[in-house]
Amino acid sequence: MSERRPAASRRVGFGLVLLLSWLVGYPLMLTFLEALGIGSGFTLEYFAEFVGRVDEWGALWRSVWISAASVVLSALIGVPLAFVFERSEFPGRKVLGALVALPVALPPLVGVIAFLFLYGESGFVSRAVQGLLGLSEPPWRLQGPGAILLVHAYSMYVYFYLFVRAGLARLDVSMQEAAAMLGAGPVRTMFKVTLPLLRPALTGAALLAFMTSLASFSAPYIFGGGFRVMTTQIVFSKLNGEVAMSQVETVVLALVALAGLWALVRLDRGRIEVVGGVRGVAPSRTALRGRWARGSATAVGWGLALVLLLPHLTLILISLVPRATWTIELLPPVLDLGNYRELLAAPERLRPIVNSLWMATVATLGAVALGLAAARSSIRSGGRLGAALEVLLAVPWAVPGTVFAIALATAFSVDAPMAGRFVLVGTPWILPLAYLVRSLPVTGRGALAGLRQLDSSLEEAAASLGAGRWRTLRRVTVPLLKPALAAAASLAFITALGDFVTSIVLYTYDTRPISIEILSSLRLQDTGVAAVYGVLLMAVSAGAFLLWGREEKA
Amino acid sequence: MSYLRLDELSKSFGETRVLGGVSLEVSEGETLVLLGPSGSGKTTLLRMIAGFETPDAGRIEVAGVEVTSLPPAKRRFGMVFQHYALFPHLSVAENVAFGLESGSAAPEERLARVAEVLELVDLRGFGERRIHQISGGQQQRVALARALAPRPRVLLLDEPLSNLDRALRERTRREIGDTLTRVGITAVWVTHEQDEAFDVGDRVAVLHQGSLEQVGSPEELYLEPATRFVAGFVGRASAIRGGWRDDGRVSIAGSESAWSGVPGRDFEPGTPVELVFRPEALRLVAVGVEGALPVRVLDRRYAGSQTYFTVESSAGDRFEVIALSEAAAPGDERAVLPGSPAPRVFGRDV
Repeated sequence: MSERRPAASRRVGFGLVLLLSWLVGYPLMLTFLEALGIGSGFTLEYFAEFVGRVDEWGALWRSVWISAASVVLSALIGVPLAFVFERSEFPGRKVLGALVALPVALPPLVGVIAFLFLYGESGFVSRAVQGLLGLSEPPWRLQGPGAILLVHAYSMYVYFYLFVRAGLARLDVSMQEAAAMLGAGPVRTMFKVTLPLLRPALTGAALLAFMTSLASFSAPYIFGGGFRVMTTQIVFSKLNGEVAMSQVETVVLALVALAGLWALVRLDRGRIEVVGGVRGVAPSRTALRGRWARGSATAVGWGLALVLLLPHLTLILISLVPRATWTIELLPPVLDLGNYRELLAAPERLRPIVNSLWMATVATLGAVALGLAAARSSIRSGGRLGAALEVLLAVPWAVPGTVFAIALATAFSVDAPMAGRFVLVGTPWILPLAYLVRSLPVTGRGALAGLRQLDSSLEEAAASLGAGRWRTLRRVTVPLLKPALAAAASLAFITALGDFVTSIVLYTYDTRPISIEILSSLRLQDTGVAAVYGVLLMAVSAGAFLLWGREEKA
Repeated sequence: MSYLRLDELSKSFGETRVLGGVSLEVSEGETLVLLGPSGSGKTTLLRMIAGFETPDAGRIEVAGVEVTSLPPAKRRFGMVFQHYALFPHLSVAENVAFGLESGSAAPEERLARVAEVLELVDLRGFGERRIHQISGGQQQRVALARALAPRPRVLLLDEPLSNLDRALRERTRREIGDTLTRVGITAVWVTHEQDEAFDVGDRVAVLHQGSLEQVGSPEELYLEPATRFVAGFVGRASAIRGGWRDDGRVSIAGSESAWSGVPGRDFEPGTPVELVFRPEALRLVAVGVEGALPVRVLDRRYAGSQTYFTVESSAGDRFEVIALSEAAAPGDERAVLPGSPAPRVFGRDV
């Protein structure tokens, strides 16, 4: 098949490279050029101003150290959890194992407000501690780097947990048996054999956590206060009308993100290749013996699950509290469905939900179609064309959402059709486009992974049975890729539905999504309604997450 | 009259020439086996016939009509893949029906055809099963049924038995062979196993390094190998060095004897040659028999119905002879005499 109509498949490949370059590379390039004043006279003035300003350097430094600390904290929680759930057997292990991964399905802004309701100054936990200790002031303020790190660790340990569990499940037991036969104790085996073999999983999770932290916006925006990181700095510059400075900051953050990506990829390059094709069986789980051990493991497990579920439960509870009925009591005195009724009764309140749903659906469908087309073309074309498509698919992942939002705002606020620029900012199409571009790495990589696992002779078999290209795609390729595409689509949909970081830069009143409405409800002290929006986001995201799980099993 | 005609097909991947000008003809209803070692170009040739690879030069014709540049879906050929390539998301019946969907047949006709081919491969009642619910041998038969269902003009089989264990392989190749005969289809079957080639092929084409070495019936290939490669690759071959004499015989290295053989081409007197025998065409005799080549027995390998003796002549030629198991023991001095069929004579590099 590789030889069939090479010219046609190359033409498609070139077309896709052009389209992706326009969507992904062009806005970033324009932002860089505009930061240098190209078009209105070359200048390094804004870069010089950036270098000269202490607050800019401070924000950059804070972004980097917060990201590094988030990686360490997430690893400290996620790695031991992975070992416990993969290596020991105790009552409720399976259910708890799934619950532990739940924070990944919580949209960032929803997680942040749930933390606010739980651990904020007037949150449940703070009130309880204040009441227990008889304090006149709240015991703490959920603000600054500590609060940001708490939210990051809560949402990003899942990467380490999932990656290391998968790594442990694949680990060849004979390696550990060989170490034991050579006299290594459990500790030496752990540090000399197991952890080095888990290096790909660990670096993969670290990369994901680092890049996610660097791009994190919701937590620094809500909890940061005066503690600004690069993402919030960019948005504040934009909101203050300092467009050129926001472009310089965007360029700097993009460069830091790419440098981080480069460093971690280099680190991963030195990994050990396991020799020998035959893989042993994954080690069996150690059943905890003795009533005490089993009992305490179960109690700790469920206790942990409760802590992890508390943000979700809090959000549901707050959504049931009518406005201005809860002041100084430990628990809300009145609970009803008033907030839900209010939201459903007012079309203007429903607008953000409809907006988010249609924009996320359109973006997801577009991202799946474009991701699949680019992945297929990348595999078929191979060579430089294939590599270029793969890079273009990966770029939006490495570049923080804020950066992309500014880049899209830069590229699509000018009417110059000959230069490939159209006015999309202010129209209903800019947000779906932004969501689509940001989802491309997920759908593209999902399709690439699925296609690489697909036996190429299946498509040849279809062709030998008289099926043309479209029929082969519809009847063979897509059905077989369904699990991979469904997983990618679920993730893309969840991300687009709960998006805050690009929305805050690109929304208009008519296109405001749920996340923006949550923020304005919070500003109006309408916590109940904000929580209802949060619960709806959570429910739809969990639904998409479950759909993914079902497809995985099918 | 040939039905499938391959004319001077050649193909290179980058700098590597995989096929160099191969021409072949297959008659209607005939099974032609492409036999060769790994890298001989047999699979590339099959994929060209299927339309998955485009030849750099040459043409492919079916029933007198050129199909060289026709896409696979338009050739109306069937193919059984090495790993079957059964669609895992479809049932057995849906797999078999796949190739019928692009035709104009009514749904009930399709159902009838699916039942018919499943019956043909002895899988009646398996239609609703999923692919992972049936054994490897059954999967193989589903692959055959799926390829046969649309009544292809030519059936292509790419090492169809390589996924089966030895016992099942022998049984299955008989079954497939019988099915092909019953259907009367023109088939091209790729394998690297000589037993398989001889069992299923009406004719066998031997490929080596991208070139066609010989095409013929199994008997022709075994008894009258055209090249030294065919003699060695098809069946066991015992080679004894010598020199071509002007009387048309070969003087045997390290002895006074001169033996007759069938020359592969004309030789000048004095040309260094090899006499290539089948091991059963040499007789082990006592030392001193007239015209016999003295040898020392190095090894004796008992293989049930026959016993192989590895022997060495005084000139250093080592080869195999078949004899009764008690005929000699390692270390014994014996001699060998040519029997029937007569050896082939090939030139050799010095």
